[in-house]
Amino acid sequence: MSTVAVPARRERRGFFAAAWAFVKRHVLTVYSILFFAYLLLPIAVVVVFSFNNPTGKFNYTWQGFTWDNWRYWDGVPGIRSSIVLSLQIALLASLVATALGTAIALALVRYSFRGRASTNILIFLPLSAPEIVLGASLLTLFLNLNVVFGFWTILIAHIMFCISFAVVTVKARLVGFDRHLEEAAMDLGANEWTTFQKVTLPLIAPAILAALLLCFAISIDDFVVTYFNSGNRITFPLFVWGAARIGAPPQVNVIGTAIFVIALTAMLVNVLVQMRRSKGAT
Amino acid sequence: MTDHLTRRQLLQRAALGGAAITVPGILAACGSSGTKASGGTTSVEQKLAGTLNFSNWTLYIDTNNKNHTHPSLVEFKKKFGTNVNYVEDINDNAGFYGKIQGQLSRGQSIGRDIIVLTDNDRYLSQVIKKGWAEKLDKAAIPNIKNLVDVQKHPNFDPNREFSLPWQSGMTGIAYNDTLTDPVLSVDDLLENPKLKGKITVLNSMGDAITIVMLANGDDPTKVTDKSWNAAFNRIKKAADNKQIRQFTGNDYAPALAKGDLAAAMSWSGDIAQIGNKHIHWNVPDAGGALWTDNMLIPTGGDVYTASVYMNYVYDPKVQGLMEAGDPKRDITGIYYIPPVKGAGEWAKKFDPAVASNPLIFPTAKMLDSVKIFDSKALNNQKYVTQWQDLVSA
Amino acid sequence: MNLFHRHRGLTPYLLLAPGILFLAVFFVVPLGFLAYQSLESGNIDFGYSFTWEWSNYWNALDNYRAQFIRSLEYAAIATALALVLSYPVAYWIAFRGGRWKNLLLLFIVAPFFVTYLIRTLAWETILSDNGFVVNTLQSLHILGPGGRLLATSTAVVAGITYNFLPFMALPLYVSLEQIDGRLIEAAEDLYASKLHAFLRVTLPLSLPGIVAGTLLTFIPAAGDFINAQLLGSTNNHMIGNVIQSKFLEQTDYPAAAAMSFILMAGILVAVFLYARLVGTEQLTGTAA
Repeated sequence: MSTVAVPARRERRGFFAAAWAFVKRHVLTVYSILFFAYLLLPIAVVVVFSFNNPTGKFNYTWQGFTWDNWRYWDGVPGIRSSIVLSLQIALLASLVATALGTAIALALVRYSFRGRASTNILIFLPLSAPEIVLGASLLTLFLNLNVVFGFWTILIAHIMFCISFAVVTVKARLVGFDRHLEEAAMDLGANEWTTFQKVTLPLIAPAILAALLLCFAISIDDFVVTYFNSGNRITFPLFVWGAARIGAPPQVNVIGTAIFVIALTAMLVNVLVQMRRSKGAT
Repeated sequence: MTDHLTRRQLLQRAALGGAAITVPGILAACGSSGTKASGGTTSVEQKLAGTLNFSNWTLYIDTNNKNHTHPSLVEFKKKFGTNVNYVEDINDNAGFYGKIQGQLSRGQSIGRDIIVLTDNDRYLSQVIKKGWAEKLDKAAIPNIKNLVDVQKHPNFDPNREFSLPWQSGMTGIAYNDTLTDPVLSVDDLLENPKLKGKITVLNSMGDAITIVMLANGDDPTKVTDKSWNAAFNRIKKAADNKQIRQFTGNDYAPALAKGDLAAAMSWSGDIAQIGNKHIHWNVPDAGGALWTDNMLIPTGGDVYTASVYMNYVYDPKVQGLMEAGDPKRDITGIYYIPPVKGAGEWAKKFDPAVASNPLIFPTAKMLDSVKIFDSKALNNQKYVTQWQDLVSA
Repeated sequence: MNLFHRHRGLTPYLLLAPGILFLAVFFVVPLGFLAYQSLESGNIDFGYSFTWEWSNYWNALDNYRAQFIRSLEYAAIATALALVLSYPVAYWIAFRGGRWKNLLLLFIVAPFFVTYLIRTLAWETILSDNGFVVNTLQSLHILGPGGRLLATSTAVVAGITYNFLPFMALPLYVSLEQIDGRLIEAAEDLYASKLHAFLRVTLPLSLPGIVAGTLLTFIPAAGDFINAQLLGSTNNHMIGNVIQSKFLEQTDYPAAAAMSFILMAGILVAVFLYARLVGTEQLTGTAA
């Protein structure tokens, strides 16, 4: 139908049109590159300043290159204990939250029961409540129960806001799950528990892992909820906050860069492995 | 369908509904799982703890700039074996008090053996009045005899049973000479259009109101509604005009050092540790504020170890070294006014240049022009609320 | 659905119990306490008493109206900016990414592996008065000679936008990626220009992503206080700053509790309005 009209239109285009087409084709690419540069700019600043050798207390102007900050990364009092605490909390919180969240996700997707809608809302609410409200309400609870603030209050807070993330992550995978595999296993004589162990669990393992990682990342980065409920224990984000008021030392940049590099490497490996797998699959 | 009413639903409804009154009540009555503080006010154990937890303001102790250690604390450990966990988490009195009062009011320990609060704000006297401070073990502090006379009987602690001064200081104006002409008066600070958005004012009532009252020609030692309103409104006007960039606690220091501020209402000794020779500090033309920071042992703190530490810093030689630092080894001193007799002489021995430093040895003229804020006004609820609303919201 | 639940009526409840219980005790109950506290009167020195003090709410709205409005304002602008900035990139990755899609997504997410506070502090350095950015803008006369970026609303909004970009970009990508390219081809075969095809086909199909991204960005942005604290001045304080100060510095718990609920109510209203547009299932994922 249109084959007659199109070539006639095309001939009239000429050079400028071709140039314009080129620009149009690549403007998105250029824009995207600029976008990535914008995203990475503060990160670059963080990394670069981790090598700075400031003369005074303050790490704001570039004064010289040094490896010292990396060598003596725990030279600033309190930084090591804060990072250790953050890691401990993140590990425990992500394990517990993922376990609880996976169970909830299984229940939500596989079963119909009374209160399903309310459960969904209950899971959704912590995600939609501003962190400051979460932190403040927990503070109120702990104060009223005369609880001593410290490791356990921080841990409870972190598990609380991680559960919802775990549920959503695992649920997404469960929803696309092919039930026929389980049916087949059952048909072959496996009971429910064995089926779950040998078929279901391995297949949702990536989602569980993703939930673990997501919870870990969220926990290690959390500031607001922890700020309200930490008593006098100091996690790494709390340490950064305190340090910022007096002039953050370069070691803060060092730890920030280290976290970035480790996380980036892990994700990069994951992505490359996936790309290889999909290449092999096609 | 009550058989399907799960416990979750019950709690949910209770929390959201009118039963909210009873559920928290019930839970609160059941829950008293917080550990009460085990600080002994009856019998003090004469044993040094392994760690002393010391919360202080920033830029407030001798610092080795190369390795970020504090020589006086290192020496303390060598001499007594106790490691000092020195945490610079006090940025302003109101904020720190807000953080600790929840636990202290429930008799819980805050995990600190020594904290430092200022006498020109209400919180120091509140902590003592409410019984949140442990009594000092004076038997362990023979050096208390070195306390300067003027500090021996303050009205918040007439017999020095709960507190000892850490340092005294003055509030004035610091400016960066690369960014502005000298800023020497409140008029300049608050109303010079060239400084718009490049200055900060302290968020502490005792400091800011004192200075502005003096600039208005009023007497900050006897605050009246009229003088309060005049000073408060002047500051508020500058804030509304965006003349004031921020109300700050000790956190003006990084911004000043960075060059984001041309001038800042600031505390005298801080500029020594900021270490930028372009930054100068002066008592404002019309006068400044005088205050003293005091060490306290909060509930649950280790009284004996804290007292031993206090005794240590009241040794004139130690105090002198803390004041002056050691320029040769790149150690910056505190550069505030020491409360210990004889410390000044020792400081001069360690670094003769400090003899002429008015931060440690204020001239008579300076001391005359700095005033202490009316302590009655500190607890005036109306003033406090007005002030808090201005600086934090 | 017919596989498991026919003879294990208790199983779902057993699975749910630990997690839901945890949330009930540590999320729902605290909110109850907060509500209770918002109706108390008194002060920290002399104690609080429950007096159905609804004035806490009116006073909060009255005294801090500016901060409430400012929070919604900043959050809305930041969300709109985030949408405009991320949409082209999400589109590019979804349609032109090919094999490299996941890698490119990684580049969007990677910067957010650095602690939130550290990123914001980096912006404090970048936007500093004597820094490269301000100097360039001054020489381009975009900023006046005494002009600055820090301690202005611009810096705060820019900070919020930056910090929540992935929350916008990722949902956008997910919904764009699911669009069947053949639909667009079909539109073009029917004489639609590229622009038309985009407006009539792509954009509407990506609406769920836009909605999700908008919510995921707006909600936390409205309650944020860190950007305002580090990058703004006293005139840029958001309601989050007030709540934080009331809780932790002024210890005015009833007022702070009231404000928290007003904030949450405001956000929930916005969310339910969206739910109307889109249907609750999209929102809470019960479409599954």
